[in-house]
This record gives sequence, C-alpha cells and structure tokens, in this order.
Amino acid sequence: MLKNKKASKIGIIITIIILVIIVMVSNIQIDNVTYVENGLGIIVMPIQNGLTYLKNWIFGNNTFFTNINNLQEENKQLKEKNSELEQSLRELEIIKSENATLKEYVNLKDKYTDYETIPAYVIQKDISNYSDAMIINIGTKDGVDVNMPVISDQGLVGHIISVTDSTAKVQTIIDTASTISCVITTSRDIMIARGTLEKDSSLKATFIPTEATIFEGDKVETSGLGGIYPKGIHIGTIKKVVNTQNITDRYATIQTAVDFAKLETVLVITN
Amino acid sequence: MKKAITIIVLIISFLILYFLQVNFFSWFTIAGIKPNLFIIFVLFISLFAGMKIGISFGILIGLFLDIIIGKSIGASAIMFGVIGLIGGYFDKNFSKESRLTIMLMVIGSTCIFEIGNYLLQIIQLSIYIEILPFIRTLLIETLYNAILTIILYPIMQKLGYKIEDTFKEQKILTRYF
Repeated sequence: MLKNKKASKIGIIITIIILVIIVMVSNIQIDNVTYVENGLGIIVMPIQNGLTYLKNWIFGNNTFFTNINNLQEENKQLKEKNSELEQSLRELEIIKSENATLKEYVNLKDKYTDYETIPAYVIQKDISNYSDAMIINIGTKDGVDVNMPVISDQGLVGHIISVTDSTAKVQTIIDTASTISCVITTSRDIMIARGTLEKDSSLKATFIPTEATIFEGDKVETSGLGGIYPKGIHIGTIKKVVNTQNITDRYATIQTAVDFAKLETVLVITN
Repeated sequence: MKKAITIIVLIISFLILYFLQVNFFSWFTIAGIKPNLFIIFVLFISLFAGMKIGISFGILIGLFLDIIIGKSIGASAIMFGVIGLIGGYFDKNFSKESRLTIMLMVIGSTCIFEIGNYLLQIIQLSIYIEILPFIRTLLIETLYNAILTIILYPIMQKLGYKIEDTFKEQKILTRYF
C-alpha cells in the first residue's frame, strides 16, 4: 500500500514534468531555436564543407554540372524577375485608382482623429478555445454602450456585445461568430472577413469579387458597411491568397494588425 | 448542515478553478490551447455527489460562464447539464477506483461537451463550420484534460469520498446488500 502511494506520487511528479515540457516545447518560437541551429551548424558544417571539397577533388571534372546549375539558377532568377515586373505593372494600374480616392483619404484621416475614444484595460480573455471574447474595465458609467467599435493603436479589435456598470464584453474580430465587411485599401474591392478557430490572429476573407486583383501584402480596412464599424479602420494585411478551381470560391487569409495574444490596452470609440 | 458546508466548499473550489482557468491556464497552454477544468469539475461532482447535484451544478456553472464571458446564453448551460447526466450514468456503470477509468471518463465527456457546445453555437450564432481546426483543437484539449486528471486524481479521490459520504450514505448500503 505504502509502496503504491509512493509510486503514484512519483507518477504525478513525472506527469507534471512532462506537462511542463510539452507546454514549453509547443509554445517555443522558431527564432528562439536559431542559436541551437547555429551551434549545431558550427559542429557539422566545417566537416561537411571538407567532405564536399574532397568529393569534388576526387571526381575531378565537375564543371559541366556547375554550368547546368548556373543556368538553372539564372533561369529561376529571370522567371522571378518577370513575375515581379508583371506584378508591379498591375500595381501601377491599382495606383491609378488609388489616386482617385486619395482625396477621400485625407478627409478620413481627419475623421480618425475626430473619434472620441476612451482607453481601457483588458481584464479577462476568453476561457474557451472556440471563441474569442474579452472583458474590458469600463462600462456604462464611463459612457460605453453596446455595438461601439473597439480599436487599439495597431488596428481594429472588435465591438462591444454587452455592458455592465463597470465592465464591458468585447467580441473580437478573430471570434468565429464575427464577420466584418472589409475593403482592400488599394483596389477598393469589398469582401467579407470571418474569424477562424486558428490561434494565430488570422481572418478568412471570402466573397472576393471575381474581377478583383488581390496580392499578398495588400492592406485591408473596414468598408463602413454593416453599421457597427466606421469606414477606414485598419484591419491587417493579406497573408495568403488561395485560388481554388472555381474563382468564386477563392479565399484569402488576413493577418490582423493587432496581436490578440498580447493585447492589453484598447480604445472604445464612443461617437 | 454537513451538506450545506459541502456545497459551500464546492462553490469555493469552483471559484478557485475559475481564476486558475482565466489566469494561469490562459498562459500555460499547449500550442495555444487551454484545458477545460470545468468539465472535469462537473464530472467529478456528478460522480461523487450524485446525478441530481451534478446536473444542477452543471447548469449553474454553465449559466455563470455564459453570462460572464459567453456570447449567447444557454449553450454551455445545456452542455454542462448533459455532463452532469453522463457523470451519473458513469457512476452507475463504472468503478471510480481506477485512474484509467476516470481518465477515460474525462476524455469522453470533454469530447461530448465540446462537440455539443460547438454544434449549439453553430445553430445559435450561425458560425462558419471549420472541421479540421476544430478536431485539432479538440484533440489537444482532450489530451490536456487527461494529463490534468492524472495530476488531480489523488485530490479528486480524497475529496470525492468525503462528498460521497455526506450525499450518498444510505444509497451505498442499499447498493451492496
């Protein structure tokens, strides 16, 4: 009996250690591993270099292969350059349309400073893995009401769904129940961005117009349709465009400007 | 009297679990995924204190969480009630002596709770269905809950039999004789 108890205690301690290791390993950032990579590289790479040199020396004539390699490399570079030029041509076309809306932008910037905002702290994040609501520390007595948009210094955060005297519940834009009408800053194409279950602060943009030109790195902002979010608030950038067989089904992933994992302070727009 | 004290103890332990879940486990995650301590808690109450108390605790905890942080009211309340019901069923059919059975019970109820909750949310909030990310999240969460059960098992058993004594004294006699 005593032995059993001891064994079970050891079992629990081992489980705790394993849990800590799993948590640490699963949350490690890849850039944190680079020094390990460097260290391993220092050990392996000189030997590898020497071996390659030895191999080339033994086989002697390796210029034919290097030539082919060079040609392939050059071909690849030219292809890349070609696609880059094509892209910049398309971008120039977009710039034309952008020029037309520049005036509107100037007005919008003034409008952005005109927003009356109240700063607030995030006091609680969601407890569930399947939704992303949070609670902030201001409520009706500070003038906060339902459906007010919430932003941070980087971009759009979400909107208020319920409010008490001193706290308010915010539904973030990465919540699965959230849909926002948004627009690509340059080409003014309207699409719908939904929250996803992924844990990396990303949105899925669907209903992209078939004639729309959309590139990775394009900036996305709110369109002003829908009645909750005002026009022109920055949402994020296009991370990936996924083309499907049917062009009406294609979608894009938007990386939000706000890092929701580290979000601590927000602003509530009250007017 | 004894029952009242036990219920107060359970409420206090719920609050402790709530703050643990909100503060500690929102940071101590496996690949960004949190465990769900409340499922283990409701299952534990239902196993040791009986199905009725399990269901009522489940519904109250669900309502509390829905009101505090949920987007709609009802989904978690219903599902925690269901977990209470399942706990009662497990209690009738399986032994609580073994760590493995308790772990399997936790795994089963985590899956049932999250799938049911997700389905109810799809109906209530008309959210976009994502099957693969959901399964991935569910698997990691279930694994996390199972690991936590191994750690919490001794406390659960010690506290559990005390609770069982106060709530099910007569029943134990009738069951074995």
